[in-house]
Amino acid sequence: MTVAKLIDTTLCIGCKACEVACQEWNDQEYTLGTFGGTYQTMPDLAHNFWNLIKFNEMERDGGTSWLMSKYQCMHCAEAGCLAACPAPGAIVARPNGTIDFVQDNCIGCGYCITGCPFDVPRLSPTTKKVYKCSLCSDRTAVGLEPACIKTCPTNCLTFGERDELVRIAEARSTELKADGFADAGVYNPQGVGGTNVLYVLKHASEPEQYGLPKDPQIPLSVSLWKGPMKWLGTLMFWGTILGTFVHFVIYGPQDPAKHGHPEKEDEPSERA
Amino acid sequence: MSEPEEIRIPRFDAYERVMHWMAALSFGYATLTGLAIWSPKLYWMGTMLGGGFHIRGTHPWSGVVFAVMIGVMFRRWAAGMGLDADDRVWLTRLHKYATHDHGALPPSGRFNAGQKMLFWSQVATTLALFATGVVLWFPESMPRPLRLASIALHPLAAIGSITSILVHIYMGTAAVPQSMRAMLRGYVVPEWARFHHPKWYRAWRASHRS
Repeated sequence: MTVAKLIDTTLCIGCKACEVACQEWNDQEYTLGTFGGTYQTMPDLAHNFWNLIKFNEMERDGGTSWLMSKYQCMHCAEAGCLAACPAPGAIVARPNGTIDFVQDNCIGCGYCITGCPFDVPRLSPTTKKVYKCSLCSDRTAVGLEPACIKTCPTNCLTFGERDELVRIAEARSTELKADGFADAGVYNPQGVGGTNVLYVLKHASEPEQYGLPKDPQIPLSVSLWKGPMKWLGTLMFWGTILGTFVHFVIYGPQDPAKHGHPEKEDEPSERA
Repeated sequence: MSEPEEIRIPRFDAYERVMHWMAALSFGYATLTGLAIWSPKLYWMGTMLGGGFHIRGTHPWSGVVFAVMIGVMFRRWAAGMGLDADDRVWLTRLHKYATHDHGALPPSGRFNAGQKMLFWSQVATTLALFATGVVLWFPESMPRPLRLASIALHPLAAIGSITSILVHIYMGTAAVPQSMRAMLRGYVVPEWARFHHPKWYRAWRASHRS
C-alpha cells in the first residue's frame, strides 16, 4: 500500500503548528531565523528544518492574497534524489512510497540536492550529511500518522492510502470549482511519476505561484549519467583493456632488432 | 651479466620522474575513488580505500594534486609538444605504428606524435575534470545548471582520461620494453633511442660528440 499526504492549501490558516510538531518529533534544535517582513517562520528549509509553511504573498483577485504552501519533500514515485545518489543504501524508496534518507550510508556528496527538482535536501554543516522530511517513517512504521498531520487543526493535512487521497483531492477541487474557483485542481506532477505529497491548489495552472515547479522531472544529465554513460564507460574501459591485450597477443612488444628502419643509419661509434 | 660499457642516454631527469609518478599516484587514487562514486557496482573500491564518506572528502583533493601535476608537466613539456610535419604524417600512419611497420613511419623527436596526443588529451580532460570537479565539490555554493552539467560532464571527461591512460599504461609496460626503466631510472640505451626517437637520438649524438 502506498501512503500519501494531502495538503489542501485552501484550508491552511498559517498557524505553523505542523512546523512545531515536525521540530518536536524529529528532535531538531531550534535555529533562530531571519525576519523577512512576512509571517513566514524561516526564509528557507534547513538541514534541521524540514517543513516550511510558505506565505506566498501577492496581489491578485482584487486584493492581497496568501497562497499558502507546505515546502517539504514531495516523496516522488520517481525520485530525482534517489536517481542521483551514488551511495548504495543512502536513499531508500520504502515499499509504502516514502523516500527516506539513511544518514549512516550518506557520503555527503550533495548529488541529491542537484537531482531534486523541488530543491529540498539540505546538507548539515556539522555532520556533512543530507537531511529532509522522512514522512515520519519512524511513526508510519508503527501505524501512526506523521507528526504534522497529527497536529494540523484545520484538516488541511490528511494522511492515508494514496488512491483514496487522490479521490478526496479530486472531489475537493470539484467542490472548489463549484464555489467559483475555476482554476482549482490537484498537484500530482506526472514528470516524476506522481508525488506522495499531493496538493489541492486554488490556482492549479500556476503552481509556480506556490513555489512548486510546473513540470518537475528527473534531470536529463542525471539520467544520462546513470544510463547511457555507464554503458559508454564500461565499453571504453573493457574495450581498451581487451584491445591492448589482444594487440599484445597478436603483435607482441616493439623490438628494435626486428622492427628497425630499413634505411638504417651508420652504426655510430658508441663504444669508444 | 651487465655490460660494463653500456651507454646511458638521459631521457627523464629526476624532476620529470617525480612529477610523472606523483601524477600517476594521484591519478590512480582519483580513478579508484571516482569509479566508486561513478557506479554502485564499483563502490567496493571506495570501501577498500576507507569508505564512501571518507573518499567523498579525499577524491577532490587527489584531483587537485593531479591537476597541479598536469600544470607542472605543462610548464616542463608543453613547448616540445607541438606537432611538426613528421608528426602529422606519423598520425596518418598510426596503423603502421600499431602493426610494428616502423619502416613506414617518419622519424620522431623526443616524443612521438602518439605521446604528444596523450599529452594534449590529458591537458584537455584535466581542465574539464578540474572545472566540473570544483562545481561538484561545493554543491551548495554553485548554481544548479552548472551542477547539472557537471554531473554528466565530469564522468564523461573521466572516461576519456582513463581510457587514454589505459593505453598509456599498456605502451609504457608491455608494448615498449625499457620505457618503464626510462621513467623509473631516467635513462635509455642508444639502440632504444635510435629506434623509437631517431631525431632525438641524432640530436643527443651530435651534442655528445662535441
